[in-house]
Amino acid sequence: MAQVVARFSIWRRCGFLLTVFGVSLALTACTGRRSDRITLPEGGEALLTKAETLKVNLTSEPPTLDWSKATDVSSSKVINNIMEGLVAYDLQSEELALRPALAEKWSSDAAARVWVFELRADLKWHDGVEFTGQQVVDGFQRLLAKDTGSEYAYFLFGIKNAKAFNQGQVGWDKVGVKLLAPRKLQVTLEAPMSYFPHLLAHTSTFPVRLDLIQKYGAKWTEAGNMVGLGPYRLRAWRHDQDLLLEKHDAYWGSPKPEIRYVHFLMVNEASTALNLFDSGTLDVVDQIPITERKRRRAQKEYRRVGMLQSLYYGFNTQIEPTNNPNLRRAIAHAIDREKIVKILDGGEVPLTGWVPPGMFGYFSDVGLEPNLEKARAYLADAGYGEGKKPLPKLELHFNTNEVHQSVAEAVQAQLRENLGLEVELKSAEWKSYLDQLKVKPPHIFRFGWQADYPDPDNFMNLMTSYSDNNRTRWKNSAYDALIKRGASETDREKRREIYREASRLLLEEGVAAVPLYANVSHMLIHQRVENYPANALSRFEFKGTRLK
Amino acid sequence: MSGKGLYILKRLLGAVITLAVIATLTFALLRILPGGPFDTEKALPDEVKANIEARYGLDRPLLEQYLNFMSGLVRGDLGESYKYVGRSVADIISEALPVSMELGLMSLLLAYIVGIPLGVFAAARHNSAFDTGAMLIAVSGVALPSFMVGPLLISLFSFGIPFAFLQGSLPPALWESPAHYILPVVTLGLRPAAILARMTRGAVLESIHQDYVRTARAKGVSERVVLFKHVLRNSLIPILSISGPLVAGLLSGSFIIEIIFAIPGIGKHLVQSVTNRDYPLILALTLVFSMMLVIANLVVDLLYGFVDPRVRPEKSGSGG
Repeated sequence: MAQVVARFSIWRRCGFLLTVFGVSLALTACTGRRSDRITLPEGGEALLTKAETLKVNLTSEPPTLDWSKATDVSSSKVINNIMEGLVAYDLQSEELALRPALAEKWSSDAAARVWVFELRADLKWHDGVEFTGQQVVDGFQRLLAKDTGSEYAYFLFGIKNAKAFNQGQVGWDKVGVKLLAPRKLQVTLEAPMSYFPHLLAHTSTFPVRLDLIQKYGAKWTEAGNMVGLGPYRLRAWRHDQDLLLEKHDAYWGSPKPEIRYVHFLMVNEASTALNLFDSGTLDVVDQIPITERKRRRAQKEYRRVGMLQSLYYGFNTQIEPTNNPNLRRAIAHAIDREKIVKILDGGEVPLTGWVPPGMFGYFSDVGLEPNLEKARAYLADAGYGEGKKPLPKLELHFNTNEVHQSVAEAVQAQLRENLGLEVELKSAEWKSYLDQLKVKPPHIFRFGWQADYPDPDNFMNLMTSYSDNNRTRWKNSAYDALIKRGASETDREKRREIYREASRLLLEEGVAAVPLYANVSHMLIHQRVENYPANALSRFEFKGTRLK
Repeated sequence: MSGKGLYILKRLLGAVITLAVIATLTFALLRILPGGPFDTEKALPDEVKANIEARYGLDRPLLEQYLNFMSGLVRGDLGESYKYVGRSVADIISEALPVSMELGLMSLLLAYIVGIPLGVFAAARHNSAFDTGAMLIAVSGVALPSFMVGPLLISLFSFGIPFAFLQGSLPPALWESPAHYILPVVTLGLRPAAILARMTRGAVLESIHQDYVRTARAKGVSERVVLFKHVLRNSLIPILSISGPLVAGLLSGSFIIEIIFAIPGIGKHLVQSVTNRDYPLILALTLVFSMMLVIANLVVDLLYGFVDPRVRPEKSGSGG
């Protein structure tokens, strides 16, 4: 052995070992992972050429593609291309109007309590099976069934007896869903709801194929098993890695899908995704880290899209001293949103009202504007100041995040400067934060809301006394009554006025919360991509998108 | 049974007990942690949440949940993820772990190939410019965090900053072909290579002045044989000692490297499962990592015996 070793020079020996290293690299590579070819579970492989493939970042693995159970953005990005609902959105229209999809038309009685949907005939699923009304009913039933354990079951709680069915108190035959004819669906609601069709554009209410779910169980959403009625078919899904859609040539709707493959990568880190965009691997990224924004704004690929998402500071209205509405009013008047937005420097829209711009129910003239005089007067009315109570010390909590941190610091500085109020900032990890808001909300807390559907009820409902999302513990029966009236009102203008009044009650009289700004999303879209679905609802439907 | 067999059996038994204790502690800690798996931004109505919890057996008394979990473990059933609907924890781990192991194994190989020779040569040329240079690299390798090295290498080899001719020579992320492997493997391997180099150098320096080395040289044995046969072999013990934790650490992947290079390994799950409060996944991952550490340490302990005949684990048993 000694001689053998001696015969090799040490450098040659190292060279030999490096070769071994190289060979082992090559061997691992031979296990068949190539970026341009994907083996399909149905057999064969897909060859992804640049000209035929749109590469998009999905950010993370979709928790599920089972639309009765999916709740997050990455899942719906995929689902909205594979499947469609009874109605859909006209994403080009100003206030995101509804348009027919699987339902050709719909109508309701005068009270908006009984709805009838007429379904399209001669539609076929990707596997050639006919689309039926029963599949719509199955979708509703599955979403609501107790043992499905779906988070969005409450979406359909407005249907007569749906909640009782979800709790196992009544059978399905008691629920207000009925097929009047094979293609005519009647839905009876507990109470009038003028926006009910919006709910049927949401993935959770999409029709399902029970035959496939029975056949494959939880694996029905895997490539090779899954079918839909949408413009794209799921061809491959390598968990935690990527997901491939191919256009469905027999798609019934319009426009027809043009890009052959949509290849979703799952790149979690925004800066990594940017690197992949810069190196030409990704065509689109929809997250740009704050530190990069300034530089990227100058790029011709840069796009900014207003979102239906509002950020606010809520008050715990049940504990000292924020149970004093005058103190809350003083704080609301002392916060200058323009300055906050300037610090964020991302084109966010300052917001005094509750519903974000771009949606029916947005008011620019509602809420408490920054006004130092009023702020100080209300602080005095609250019993603070010279010769009165000493100023209280408040706690402001937010979930750990650089943006929330800078907003909180700005508000802290403004309240100190404008009112002399001392505010202590505390941040917590997301789930701990949620737990805290449930158990014991602090004086002031950060929260936000993103539209499930672009109807004001989705936002206004949050602050009702019966809402699980009302973390302020503010209760106002007049507000509750207004929201119920708004839901049942079918006249658009009357509805608008109801929400204006409710917004005033919430933000000017009750001051349960201070809206801060409406969020925007920042994207980079490669020049070769035309008509990319960048919209306020974050609904990514690729059927109208083309590659140059 | 031979002494060694008995020794291994004893160690394995100890490992099982250790794992059971870890499982129990993790289970308890998770339940103390505020926030549950189904606390969401859009708060769920109580009745909806109750249905979901019932589906996963979270409505049962805690003791029953614990016993179910432990009996599942014994049967080898790790349960279903709370976050990834319908995917078993075993599936998730068996898809992600091999990727992390691949990355770890390649980095480890790189670390040994680079680290050990570097250490030996540095020691052989003690106090020379080579020694100083090698140790400078080694100290930087230990000190520089991978979240800095990774992006630096990406800038250099993917975007040609500052050397434009290097632009596009290596992809900046993903895990698809050998070209994709190079940057993450080097980034991950740098630190262990540096640690190994320093360890080796120290150990070699200690043995290089021993009498048997002088004897070998006096007998006219070539310097390289002296170094690699006589000296290195006797310096392997400290290198082996750190190899256990090193191997376990590398094979389990590195969260930061996997994030920077978008590698579909286990590191991401380690962090996100906690953020998501995905109890079954957290528990399974904790156990897998504990197991890897236990096994790596056991293997190292056994290897001691081969490297240095004076260390025989079974000595106390049957007398070797």
